Amino acid sequence: MAGDYEPWLFQAMLDELKHNELGIGFVYSLLELVAQRYGLKDVTVKLVHDTTGVQCFRLGRLNVDSDILTRHGRSAEVICDPDVVPENERNAIRTACQLSLSLHLARYSSAHDPLTNIANRRSFDTTLEAAAARSSRYGWPFTLVLADLDGSKAVNDRLGHARGDDLLRKFGFALRSSVRKGDAAARIGGDEFAVILSNAEGHEVNGFLDRLSAVLASTGNVIGFTAGTASSPRDSVDPTELFRIADARLYAKKGINLE
Amino acid sequence: MMSITEEDFELELRSLPGVVNVGISHDESDEVELVTLVIVGQSPATIRTQATQIANLYFPDVTIVVEVADSATSMNQVSARVALLIADFDEKAGECEVQLAFEGRIGVGRAESGPLIGGVEGTLAALRNLDYEVPYYLDAVTTVPTIRGWPVVVTLRSSADDADLYGIAQSDGESLSAARATLNALNRFLSNAPH
Repeated sequence: MAGDYEPWLFQAMLDELKHNELGIGFVYSLLELVAQRYGLKDVTVKLVHDTTGVQCFRLGRLNVDSDILTRHGRSAEVICDPDVVPENERNAIRTACQLSLSLHLARYSSAHDPLTNIANRRSFDTTLEAAAARSSRYGWPFTLVLADLDGSKAVNDRLGHARGDDLLRKFGFALRSSVRKGDAAARIGGDEFAVILSNAEGHEVNGFLDRLSAVLASTGNVIGFTAGTASSPRDSVDPTELFRIADARLYAKKGINLE
Repeated sequence: MMSITEEDFELELRSLPGVVNVGISHDESDEVELVTLVIVGQSPATIRTQATQIANLYFPDVTIVVEVADSATSMNQVSARVALLIADFDEKAGECEVQLAFEGRIGVGRAESGPLIGGVEGTLAALRNLDYEVPYYLDAVTTVPTIRGWPVVVTLRSSADDADLYGIAQSDGESLSAARATLNALNRFLSNAPH
């Protein structure tokens, strides 16, 4: 692949990668590089992806151009003004940008639940392990909250899965709106959610649950939820044990004895 | 350089259905101040509401501007493909869940009766969840022994007297193969279907 690149471009991309991951930011960095090299007023790259469809990225991101698709056909390409950039360099930039967008989407979707846009079980487990390790080493407290939607199976059965999915989306949004910066929220199963509240015990946890209920009410979500909590280091510093304790407390609130 | 948070914010906006271009401007202290979205084929009010909800989670004070690209633009839009995200069979629940993506939307379908039938019917349900009217139903699904493994073959029967459709695929697991084979069978129908 390097053979298709002008040496300056290849070197510039390698330099850029020293302090910038492949992602959306890297797309803009590449556009900036080529603009500086050729003294361009404007560079746009049009990319295509299965999940996001056509996407235009333009240097100076505020100046979006709604005509760009009309003027430049259907394929992914790099559009420069003035048009002085050799075709092989434009092709190389387009390929690198396409790769960056794909990697960004892959990285995002591997860590997030697609229905609710919050973390998935895999990334939540990693976050929980890190929080438990810090709690064990330094004594930093945190609380694990497990939450179950009440009666979601009945909603699915009576009103259909589309309505059930809508409830899950709204609950995911309410969770994201209710946590503080530094907290983590995840969908860990069908209608099961988990939250890590950093540096929180007792009334901070109650405050979070109150916020969550208020946001849910404001979204018109009529379904309720049941929550169980376990705090580290007070209850345990082992992630599996914290899960077990929070789960048992959740089920106790529902009147179910897990033992 | 953009922060990872800003990248995720932009990606979420770009994942909204119909969004083809995103512009972000910053104020003097480099805080995100204004977001401009260019959309095709969607209601500006709906997109503005969804974008505002997303923005509230990242940059609550941001102003959102939605511009609608003209109809010629949408005519020229590259036709997006239905993408298979997940086809999982839950042995405990006896249920297969299939998730498909199309133009930033996720369609979810669930079906019982094992990984093969569940994979096919879950895929059909997920397409219907994406508002496709699919005039086909499952006629037969089976695995076929070959030198290179056990691909899944799906036959779909038309409910409108059109010809049967056939699909074949081999992936990791029977439910994933069944879902891929179903999409393989529907390939031509999906690329011509009004949506």
